[in-house]
Amino acid sequence: MDSLTWLGALAPFFGPAFGIGAAALGLALVVQFIAGVFAPHHKPQTRDDGTLRQRADIFGRLDRLPGLIFAGLVALMLAFAGISLVVGHESGGIMGGMIQRFLPVWIALIATFGLSIRFKRRLGLYGKLFDSTIGMIGFGLVMFWVFTALFVGLFDLIGTHDPLAQVSGLKNAPPGVPVPADEAAFPTYLLGGDNLARDIFSRMVEGSVVVMMIAPLATLFAFMVGITLGLPAGYYGGTLDTVLSFAANLILAFPVILLFYLLVTPEIIATGLPTFMAMVLFVFPLVFLGVLIHARFRNRAGQSRAILALVLGPLVLLYLSVVNQAGTPVDFWPLDFFDIPGGILVVFVAVVFVNSPTVFRIVRGLTLDIKTRDYVAAAQTRGERPWYIMLWEILPNARGPLIVDFCLRIGYTTILLGTLGFFGLGLPPESPDWGSTINEGRKLLMIYAHPALPPALALLSLVLGLNLMADGLREESLKD
Amino acid sequence: MTNQPILEIDRLSISFFTRLREIPAVMDFSARVMPGEALGLVGESGCGKSTVALGVMQDLGTNGRIVGGAIRFKGRDLGQMDPDELRAIRGREIAMIYQEPMASLNPAMRIGRQLMEVPMIHEGVSRAEARARALDVVADVKLPDPERILRAYPHQLSGGQQQRIVIAMALMSKPSLLILDEPTTALDVTVEAAVVDLVKDLGKKYGTSMLFISHNLGLVLETCDRICVMYSGEAVERGSIGDVFDRMRHPYTQALFRSIPLPGADKTTRPLVAIPGNFPLPHERPPGCNFGPRCDYFEAGRCDAGPVHMAPVPGDDRHESRCLRFGEIDWDAPPVAAQSTRETEPGKVVLKMDALKKYYEVAANALFGGGEKRVVKANETLSFEAREGETLAIVGESGCGKSTFAKVLMGLETATEGDILLDNTSIGATPIQDRDTRTVADIQMVFQNPFDTLNPSMTVGRQITRALEVFGIGRTDPERREKMRALLDLVKLPREFADRMPRQLSGGQKQRVGIARAFAGGARIVVADEPVSALDVSVQAAVTDLLMEIQREEKTTLLFISHDLSIVRYLSDRVMVMYLGHVVELGTTEQVFSPPYHPYTEALLSAVPIADTQVQKQHIVLEGDIPSAMDPPSGCPFQTRCHWKNRAGKSLCESEVPPVRTLADGHQVKCHLSEADFAAMEPVIKIAAE
Repeated sequence: MDSLTWLGALAPFFGPAFGIGAAALGLALVVQFIAGVFAPHHKPQTRDDGTLRQRADIFGRLDRLPGLIFAGLVALMLAFAGISLVVGHESGGIMGGMIQRFLPVWIALIATFGLSIRFKRRLGLYGKLFDSTIGMIGFGLVMFWVFTALFVGLFDLIGTHDPLAQVSGLKNAPPGVPVPADEAAFPTYLLGGDNLARDIFSRMVEGSVVVMMIAPLATLFAFMVGITLGLPAGYYGGTLDTVLSFAANLILAFPVILLFYLLVTPEIIATGLPTFMAMVLFVFPLVFLGVLIHARFRNRAGQSRAILALVLGPLVLLYLSVVNQAGTPVDFWPLDFFDIPGGILVVFVAVVFVNSPTVFRIVRGLTLDIKTRDYVAAAQTRGERPWYIMLWEILPNARGPLIVDFCLRIGYTTILLGTLGFFGLGLPPESPDWGSTINEGRKLLMIYAHPALPPALALLSLVLGLNLMADGLREESLKD
Repeated sequence: MTNQPILEIDRLSISFFTRLREIPAVMDFSARVMPGEALGLVGESGCGKSTVALGVMQDLGTNGRIVGGAIRFKGRDLGQMDPDELRAIRGREIAMIYQEPMASLNPAMRIGRQLMEVPMIHEGVSRAEARARALDVVADVKLPDPERILRAYPHQLSGGQQQRIVIAMALMSKPSLLILDEPTTALDVTVEAAVVDLVKDLGKKYGTSMLFISHNLGLVLETCDRICVMYSGEAVERGSIGDVFDRMRHPYTQALFRSIPLPGADKTTRPLVAIPGNFPLPHERPPGCNFGPRCDYFEAGRCDAGPVHMAPVPGDDRHESRCLRFGEIDWDAPPVAAQSTRETEPGKVVLKMDALKKYYEVAANALFGGGEKRVVKANETLSFEAREGETLAIVGESGCGKSTFAKVLMGLETATEGDILLDNTSIGATPIQDRDTRTVADIQMVFQNPFDTLNPSMTVGRQITRALEVFGIGRTDPERREKMRALLDLVKLPREFADRMPRQLSGGQKQRVGIARAFAGGARIVVADEPVSALDVSVQAAVTDLLMEIQREEKTTLLFISHDLSIVRYLSDRVMVMYLGHVVELGTTEQVFSPPYHPYTEALLSAVPIADTQVQKQHIVLEGDIPSAMDPPSGCPFQTRCHWKNRAGKSLCESEVPPVRTLADGHQVKCHLSEADFAAMEPVIKIAAE
């Protein structure tokens, strides 16, 4: 069996079509730019019905040209994708094969977008995202990887091979290389093999699971810590603020990579430092939720206790299970349900530790602003307790900037995970996460570029998506 | 002087384009400003008056567009000019002064550089000449020590001085048209009076035409020759000041005048008449006359039939009205009096301030707490009593200590010295977390800014219910919900509002929710901190009346904090005037508003613009700005600005804080003036015989 080409049997038509389309688009953009320099000033004119009249002269036509070509190119891509979904890798080549493998993701994406756009007026800030093109593109990219991680992690779809299985003879094999028939169900390594003869495509989609598990959760924890400390610092001010801000600055001033190296050093792990840090950092979500509930139901003592017990009980058990690790200095709790692999715990702790000071500073700044509002004064004059004011009067009104920062920060965390993996810190060496795979691919980059590129592009598209989504959210939240 | 108008706006229509629809902001607006003439543009917020100004400047942003009509400046159509020509006109021929002075000045540039830029860019004059001109203009706007001002940065000047600099900058290249967009709204009353005075004088001196945009009819009366009243994007009436003020020919203008408290209005015998209903949203305007649904003279089938056009009022000079029926309406008929109510007799004393003092210590260096500490005396020996069912107005400008007083009363701060007695129980030293629920619920507050008073991310109903929960009212959720609905009824809001978010409410509705929240625990003392000053005139009357009505029913003691003396005269029983932490005058409304006055009260009364051509005011303009509470003057706090100072003996005023003197029963004044001087004072406001 022959190796697959990129476009397979569709190449004779689509290859030249894509090439010509891209060239025309580039040319049109250049011409438009040059014409824009010489174009005379134009005043927009309105029609009687209030809509804008388009510019009718040659410059108006030049303005519209790139858009038309781009639309054509997109239509071409959609046509290719449509055909590929049916014919798969057999006629669609590597691209066709990948598009077909991602079929569940496409279905989920179309369903999500369809429902969201249909009901966007009722969905608050999330719905507003669908008013902005940038936001929709970003959301699409993010959800692509979220769904990929879901289908790979839960149902074992999409991936073509076992990410750890090695097939002899396929070491550093180029993309589209056929797999010996008896070895596996899927006949090709779509994106080739890495230096241990594992399937790069499968490892890339498997890597998304690791990233999707750690990055949002670690960011969420960082936010809990930052919010729980930032609110009182901004609200009370004074010495508390000075001390906390100083500590935050201290952590921010510490070189991040050095900190990571310290945390993963076996000698440091042996002292139990990461577990102790986990103990401290993981207690914040409990404190946060506890105070949140108590502040809200203070006037109804019975109800307050019931809800507190209901929420905090399982969480405390979870917390103890997470913190308690056999073989570390923190080993006192008999009911330990599970252990988190040491590497992941360290990565988690490190990411939360370096992210929370920044969140702290944002929350503190927002609190300083919002606490001067009249509704905060109104709450004070009716005798509300400080934590109610912080969590129910101030925090909800700081949500706009915080949500935007949350999206951006998941992106940073993803890059940070990549950096950690790249340095070989934290996660086990065979882990398919994108950072580690890029690092492995780097070693032979001058000879074989293909093992490092797919995870790098995956990382890029996810972070780009998060940033675009944050941009869209910020833009839309300002419009309210 | 030629007869060509400086600015001629001809049937101008401006629309804003959003993703959903076109929103017409200004429709069929015409106006004409002759050389040396000042045109006042009056209307409520959202009526399109600022849009007109931006249209004149051709600065409507990306989604605003002129969709009809023309703006001619000295005969040339501004809409046809290209950006270069516009640049040459803006700032040189047409200058604009905005509301917020600090936002108009570049904080990173010295005043001198900013002023010199104007002639250097527009006329290409040399640095030296530009500087000489800047010095002249700064002297013209009556700022002391021009050399020092030119070297200063904007933040080193006070708000009043900043606004003077903005005016100076506008006048640097001697424009032929000056557009003032609410130029004094951000300033204190006495400072405002001085700035308005200055604008008037300079307009005369430079012969500049002015387009004066304001929501304050009194200000327009004082500054302008002609007036144009706008409602919902249209001009509804225009004419000379005298014609429009005395012989108005549009129902909206009439309703506007009836809803502002003029001297003579009184809460019991001649209550204000609020305009019913709400301002229509730009995309929900009614057919025909925009004011129709709120108009007393509305005639179905005629007023809502088709577009109404401006028609000249016969007999007057360029007086026009956009009303189909102005010929038929009896304009001299007295307003249908809203039922006048019985005056409530004040009951027993519920609140007593006993020589209350509040000092703050301010460390010179906040970060390390070192350095010398300075004491800010925010409240100095406050003593007064408030009775049940009484309205006590606290009057003063920014920095007078009225907000600090409110904080101490509410328990957010504790008194440094002295005490507050609520029903003879001392609460002055008890912070709010140590007060019992009953005390907290008894003393509640209504806040100033309607856009800030409600938590934007909680429904209206939830916010009121929370107050009920905190005050321990109602045992179960349904019970509290029922009570919350009753409170919405009390403030005359529909019950469906319970599930609305604050952003879906108008300013007046939000303020009503704020009032409902304050009365949730059956408050007996309500501190109203300028509750209507941020609202539109027509809404002010309704909210004020609501407050009065609830007070009458619940026998609430109302502490009404305000700087607006017109409204204070209208609704208060007793008035307390504060200046820099001192109570300078205290007495019944009648005593405070008639001579003898404290010199500060006298100046305040003179400063407040009154929208009545019958009123003649004594002209008293205070020099300078309010001193900082960080660095108060020695002796009498008012001595730096007092124009009676020489009468009482200069050294006495500068060295000793005057004693509190009782002039008549319950009328106290803190002043060194002699009995003879007090007796010689003349009333500031005189109503000319009709």
